[in-house]
Amino acid sequence: MVAFKGCYALVYRTYMRETGGLLMKKLISALAVAAAFIGAQATAQDIANMSDTEFAHIAYTADNIDIRYAHLALALSDNPEIKKFAKTMISDHEAVNEAALELLAKLGATAQDNAVSQALNERADNIINEFSQLRGAAFDKAYAENELAYHQEVNALVEGTMIPNIDNAEVKALFEQGLKIFKAHEKHAEMMVKSVQ
Amino acid sequence: MCSDFSRRHILIAGAAASVAALTNPAKAEVRSKIHDVRIKDFVYVPDTLHVHVGDTIRWINDDLAPHTATALEFGWDTGELKRGESAEVVVSENMETAYFCVFHPHMKAQLVIS
Repeated sequence: MVAFKGCYALVYRTYMRETGGLLMKKLISALAVAAAFIGAQATAQDIANMSDTEFAHIAYTADNIDIRYAHLALALSDNPEIKKFAKTMISDHEAVNEAALELLAKLGATAQDNAVSQALNERADNIINEFSQLRGAAFDKAYAENELAYHQEVNALVEGTMIPNIDNAEVKALFEQGLKIFKAHEKHAEMMVKSVQ
Repeated sequence: MCSDFSRRHILIAGAAASVAALTNPAKAEVRSKIHDVRIKDFVYVPDTLHVHVGDTIRWINDDLAPHTATALEFGWDTGELKRGESAEVVVSENMETAYFCVFHPHMKAQLVIS
């Protein structure tokens, strides 16, 4: 992680001196997010170099994590808005996962487990343990804020690092459709955060 | 004998309907239409739809995510529409005109009934 941070700073400085482009800023922030997910196990370049089947596994894992958070919210929250939001997360992420499995079956491919998926799951386990101790307004606030942060992070990773590096056109199209859904969730989560303040 | 009677009855009924149509041309000309509203990328297209009483509105979901078209005060509702599914609602005189998606409340649209 330390090595990555040094590398990131060097790349950033070099790049900004050369072009100062906004797009690169966005890409670098997405890579930084990716690095935060995976810790010291892989570099940002490793993620960019991953295969479509590894990207598919990461996306499927990220969807399932949000479904797990939503089930926790349905079990613990009494807030009708939070419950409605959680139900939407379940139905939307299940719809995306269903489409992803259909496409993989059509392509005769299998999603491939990898360090990023594992790091995502590990972090989610910790968050679920932590949130399961909370009740009432404290839970609602934590859930809403985590939903916003999580969608911001995953959207940046999908948009900045995964989509530009997907080889298969159909897989790319599915990720683009998924991103539209997750961006809508991000907006919805912003409203949720405001309503539970 | 029986079939003769039926035939004559149908002819008379048909003639009566024609007369009614001729004597009330305005009514005869009004035909109910089917209007399609497509749901794509979390937007109803069109987001403002002009309709007449008796018309049918058909919502078709082109998104991966499931959606609904639901009146703000829940007076009418398509129910859940999964990818590729559609549902129809017939326009009535006093129906609510503002609607949204219950799953994604930022999705809003309206009807204009004339």
